[in-house]
Amino acid sequence: MSNAPHILVVDDELQIQRALRTILSEKGFKVTTASNGEEGLTLAATQEPDLVILDLGLPDTDGVEICARLREWTQCPIIVLSVRDSERDKVAALDQGADDYLTKPFGIEELLARVRVALRHAAGGKGGQSKLVKAGPLTIDLAWHIIRRGGEEIKLTGTEYKLLAYLASNHGRVLTHQSILTHVWGPADADHTEYLRVYMRQLRKKLEEDPERPAYILTEPGIGYRFIADE
Amino acid sequence: MRFWQYLLSLGVIAMVTGIFFALRGVLDTTLIALLYLIPLGLITAFWGLGPGITSALIVFLTFNYFFIQPYYTLTVHRPTDVVVLVVFLIVAVVISQLVARAQAGLAAATAREREATQLYELSTALTGLHDNHAIAQIIARQIHSVSQSEYVEFDISEPQPLVFHVPETYQPTRAPELIVPIQAARGVLGEIRLWRASPAITSSEKRLLQTFASQGALALERAWLAQAESRARVLEESDQLKSAILSSVSHELRTPLSTIKAAASSLRSGEVNWDSPARMDLITAIDDEADHLNMLVGNLLDMSRIESGALKPKRDWNILSEIVGSVLVRMKYSMEEHKLEIDVPESLPLVPVDYVQLEQVFTNLLSNSLKYAPANTVVRIHARVEGEMIHVKVSNQGPQVPPGDLQRIFDKFYRITAADRVTGTGLGLSICKGIIEAHGGRIWAENVSDGFVFNFTLPLTWDGSRAPQIPMDTENE
Repeated sequence: MSNAPHILVVDDELQIQRALRTILSEKGFKVTTASNGEEGLTLAATQEPDLVILDLGLPDTDGVEICARLREWTQCPIIVLSVRDSERDKVAALDQGADDYLTKPFGIEELLARVRVALRHAAGGKGGQSKLVKAGPLTIDLAWHIIRRGGEEIKLTGTEYKLLAYLASNHGRVLTHQSILTHVWGPADADHTEYLRVYMRQLRKKLEEDPERPAYILTEPGIGYRFIADE
Repeated sequence: MRFWQYLLSLGVIAMVTGIFFALRGVLDTTLIALLYLIPLGLITAFWGLGPGITSALIVFLTFNYFFIQPYYTLTVHRPTDVVVLVVFLIVAVVISQLVARAQAGLAAATAREREATQLYELSTALTGLHDNHAIAQIIARQIHSVSQSEYVEFDISEPQPLVFHVPETYQPTRAPELIVPIQAARGVLGEIRLWRASPAITSSEKRLLQTFASQGALALERAWLAQAESRARVLEESDQLKSAILSSVSHELRTPLSTIKAAASSLRSGEVNWDSPARMDLITAIDDEADHLNMLVGNLLDMSRIESGALKPKRDWNILSEIVGSVLVRMKYSMEEHKLEIDVPESLPLVPVDYVQLEQVFTNLLSNSLKYAPANTVVRIHARVEGEMIHVKVSNQGPQVPPGDLQRIFDKFYRITAADRVTGTGLGLSICKGIIEAHGGRIWAENVSDGFVFNFTLPLTWDGSRAPQIPMDTENE
């Protein structure tokens, strides 16, 4: 079990600590828990976990700040937990380098899926990343810039391709509006969420079977977008 | 002023004497004496007792000099003329005094009437005022204009310290000439300070100012009582709301909790076989009811945010069909029993709304429609532009709502059917109302021939402007 990924859970609720420890251990992860921000930072530094699950509502330090402080020296994936209606905090944490978020209360399948995606992206960052992303009938070849649905090639404009490529190469992860806008349009347009809305609609029309009920390009309300690819 | 009055009186007497002198041959001495009384009376009436008596004495001499023989001397020969002269003097003085007294009485009555008018004006101006600042302002201005003073200060120490002064630009350097306390039943509320060096403040003015002060005290007392009453009313209302919340919440929270407790304890007891389908049912029930509980708590939080005015939309230019789409994706399991028709054209302009809040509106309206409409009926979402607004309809073929209740269904905890038949918090529609109104829109419900429709409108403009142009790629690559 020495190769089991090590997860650090930082949450002040003992019930949640206990539940996460039980479930994650059961799934074969090595679990360490911390009840406050300072303890979390210390444990992260000494134990070098493979992934951090961080509650944003900690008693001592602001979770967003902990994200920023972790990012000063480690690229280990961070999944933040928060309650509903704190979109602002979630976006702030994501923009400070958190990889994903979950809204409490959450289902455990959701958590495990996010953990898997985050660990895979962390591993991909070290090794070479897959240049071929598959999602249902869609095949996105990031090396050759070719998108196919079934066998048929789909034509995209330059901006549409840049947008899809960014989403697909981060498949499974949530991307904030600001991060997508900065990446595709440039920092000057980082506030123009309306660009995103309009281009996402075009992409969905070209890629989704039912653009009104998308299956691959999902909206994360108030946060951003997430591309769902086959596991 | 005084000097001019004497001079004018003299002028009048000279003029009258001139006329009488011209008619000396025609008029009898006693008639002239009688006629002289007219200007004398008028002089006293217009210019007061001093000029009146003085004129009487002067007339006594001129009468003697010009009209009593021998002419142009002050000597009197005939005894009858002596009588005429003496009677004239007495009558002139008496008339002067009587007229003057009547005049003074009239002046006092006028002053009293003016005071009464001022008081009336003050109390009219103060009627219905429930704001201490406005009361202070009105009283200070009235006192300033009535007393013709240099500076008036209205200083309230209770309940909140407040000073108002007239004129606002002037600051006196000396102590005030008069201080009148504002005495109310609750104690001294403050004081009125008045600066007027000259003329000195008379006792009647002082009395008037005291009356003003007590009017002020009454007005302040009234304002205080009105505020206390409205505070009590707010408390009472929020008390009613709290007990409504408590009764609804305890009912609504207990239902899923009972399910969870029953399912969890039966799973724990080992009574249920590991591989029986009942086990899966129980687990699903726990999961579903936990979601339900989460929704209840979310609704309560939303409602309290709306109530406290903390619900501020975070607007962005959004595509309505995208919002509807993500609601449909999330609700797909609860819509399996109904046919859904979506008519939200792509050509609709971008709308300036809070994505998350609008999602909530659609979720609540849809789940309400699904809850009441029978299975296999059509639930429809329809959106069109109407002028500067977008008009959205969420219609279902469910039962109609009594016309009297169409408004009230958006009230908190309002239900048409018995609470136990349909579950929910009774907050969903009032949350929709709160959100739509925070966006500057309107929400209402109506019965139609084959069912029931929720309508809402949203403005298409944000800070006065419509959606911006989006730079688009010109050609495919």
